[in-house]
Amino acid sequence: MALKFFSLRHLVRIPINSVNNQTPLYQNNITHNLTNFSTSSIACVTFFNKLPAEKLWKSVTSVSNAGAKKGRGKGAGRIRIRDLNRGQVIGVGKINMLWPGLSAPVIRGRELLKQHRLPDDPERMEKLIKLRDSMTKFRRFKLSPIERGWSGAKMPGRSIGPPDPVGDEEFIGFDTKVLQLRSLLIMKGTLGRTRNYQAMVVTGNGNGLAGFGFGRAKEALAALRKAKNRAGKKLMHFDIYNGHTIFHDFFTAFGKTKIFVQKKNEGYGLRCHRAIKEICQAIGIKDMWAKVEGSGQLQHVVKAFFIGLLQQRTHQQLAEEKKLHLVEYKAENAYYPTVVASPSVVRTKEEIPRDETLDFVQYVMNDKVMLRRKKFPRFYQTMPHYDIYLKKFERYRNHEKIRHNLKTEYGTVKSFLNDKYPEAKSEQEA
Amino acid sequence: MHKNTRNVIIHYNNLQILAISSRKLSIVPSLYDGEQDPGPKFFCSGVQALLKRLTRPDFAKVFRKRTNSNLPFLKTPKYKFLTNEELDAEISKANKTAAWLLQMPPVVKVHDPINEVFSKDPALVGYDSSKYVFTDITFGVPNEQRLIVERDPDGTLQSCDHDTRKRLNQIYFPIQGRKVKEPTMFSDEEKFHGLLEEEKYEFILDRACIQYEPNEPTYQKVTSITYQHVDLKTNFNMLRSTRHFGPMAFYLTWHQSMDNLMLELLQTGFVRETVLLMGLRQAIHEDIAFADELNELVPQILPTPVQLKKSENLSEEDINLDNKCIDCVVKYITKNSAMKSQQELALQGFREEYQQLVELSRGLRKAHGNV
Repeated sequence: MALKFFSLRHLVRIPINSVNNQTPLYQNNITHNLTNFSTSSIACVTFFNKLPAEKLWKSVTSVSNAGAKKGRGKGAGRIRIRDLNRGQVIGVGKINMLWPGLSAPVIRGRELLKQHRLPDDPERMEKLIKLRDSMTKFRRFKLSPIERGWSGAKMPGRSIGPPDPVGDEEFIGFDTKVLQLRSLLIMKGTLGRTRNYQAMVVTGNGNGLAGFGFGRAKEALAALRKAKNRAGKKLMHFDIYNGHTIFHDFFTAFGKTKIFVQKKNEGYGLRCHRAIKEICQAIGIKDMWAKVEGSGQLQHVVKAFFIGLLQQRTHQQLAEEKKLHLVEYKAENAYYPTVVASPSVVRTKEEIPRDETLDFVQYVMNDKVMLRRKKFPRFYQTMPHYDIYLKKFERYRNHEKIRHNLKTEYGTVKSFLNDKYPEAKSEQEA
Repeated sequence: MHKNTRNVIIHYNNLQILAISSRKLSIVPSLYDGEQDPGPKFFCSGVQALLKRLTRPDFAKVFRKRTNSNLPFLKTPKYKFLTNEELDAEISKANKTAAWLLQMPPVVKVHDPINEVFSKDPALVGYDSSKYVFTDITFGVPNEQRLIVERDPDGTLQSCDHDTRKRLNQIYFPIQGRKVKEPTMFSDEEKFHGLLEEEKYEFILDRACIQYEPNEPTYQKVTSITYQHVDLKTNFNMLRSTRHFGPMAFYLTWHQSMDNLMLELLQTGFVRETVLLMGLRQAIHEDIAFADELNELVPQILPTPVQLKKSENLSEEDINLDNKCIDCVVKYITKNSAMKSQQELALQGFREEYQQLVELSRGLRKAHGNV
């Protein structure tokens, strides 16, 4: 019965559209691309079409005002906004078709192209999903070792470029380094807990001009920028001896921070506190030793060092103060006396009072004497077996040099016995 | 002295010119082993003064930073405040150090072979198949006077020859830098000539001074080849302000081949040093015709300060002295020189340049009001 019913139905079936349409029945024999075709307009309105992408994303990722103040919605846990247009091109979609004029030229060679369906790309969706997944994760911003600062990806020790140009003048050859970037929290009655960033930077051209500056702002970048420009405004000029070091040793202090600074020879390098090292590189000092004692407050260290540098005297000034020739002795030049600076009037021996400090280092350190720390024996030297080890090792002390000399002279390590008994070979050779 | 250059091939190939010069310049070494002993002449005070002045010591080069010193790394300079007197004392001390650094390796004749036999004991034949060498290692005895004897298998007890003596002295009382086995740099001809090609004269001569004694034939051979190479290439400036210039000038003058040096001095305009060189020749060979004038002039030049570069203000005394020097040079060129034409040309060039300098300095003095 059902079967009959079905077959009857089949025979009786009248196309529903023909009721509404005025199209004659005979048109069913011609094939069209579009089988269902209506003239009434339909707007496919869904939730996803009602609002722009921004608003949609915001609804998923937004954080309340209170939450934002507490710092929520930033950092590793946060959902990332993904641009869904990425990876898609107009003209390419779920159904892969060739659209002449859009994704292909209208005339290729001599033939006129027509719309036709291209073979499907089954992996299209997978590729898109993969691309979108890669955009989501919070990526640790990778720094190259050269760009890294003192520790990890943190700002202190990193360079932030030259200060911004002032009017027509540009800061050519200048580079700023961040010395300190910290976030301060203050509690106010009206605003509650507010966070502020404070930055200290030093800027210099490596040729005697340098300056340091502070900056405060709500955002770290803004604070750095302010500090950089302030440092660019507060430049100081420093004299450098022979283009590589300071003129003489000195001692400075600011607050409870004390710094002992020593002048060093070419090739020594900057053996100092990392902040002092950055300052020296900005000024153009290449060889120096400095020891920070007492408090380690970074701002005090920087201020003390700058004060010390400014209070330095050139060799000519020292000679004029003392009214004596200033003579330099270098070990590599067999201690030949080179007169570095001469005063206009030179005192005689009788004119020098008895208690005057004539020693250069003592005079320059203002009669302050640096403590030379005692060198204690290494941990192994006090162990009980050390003497016995030295006595045993005495036998082999020169053997490395002997082996080296033998290789130079004969090519291999051998003795007269090898020549006397050539038939005797070592296990390796046999 | 032969100066043959072999195997000089020049290819012209599409504007590229390849010149392959000879590796073996056949320079014949000559030792001080003849009848005449250079020692008395070399150590004479007059000759020493002339040689020291001829080296033209430039303190910047004498006290230069060296890599072969005992300093493993640089040290911070030391500073001192000095009065005028103290400064003068320091400068005189520095002059003494310079004199010590510039002391010349002695020029002596080759040592005589040692033939002293102490005893012949044929009774000891067959005792052993090897030689026995006995060395007296008393501390404080000079190495040259040390008793080093050998007992040969045939029973003779004789004093050792120079090579054995040197080897044993080095084993028991080593000198820093001297090797028991002769360095290949001196034994291998290729290596030695390679070094000469690279013009590392100071290195060769310094090492030769450490490795050998001045009266050894190898030392004399090495130094003579080096000096001749320097003379050939006219690289005298490389040895100026070093301790080797004196012995080199002495060697060239002894062998009557100082004309190249004379020419170089004239070309660079050091006319007083040419007179000093003539003085040296007179002291060694005594064959200069105008010897009296020369002997008057040399003591006038020696006290004057060492000229390192051309000075612009010449005083009248300087000009007089220089004119006398030029007269002497003219006489030398006509009578004793072996490179007459070249030296005359150089002298002419120097005269023109000198005239300009004289005019400049006279003009300057006039402008300053003869101050």
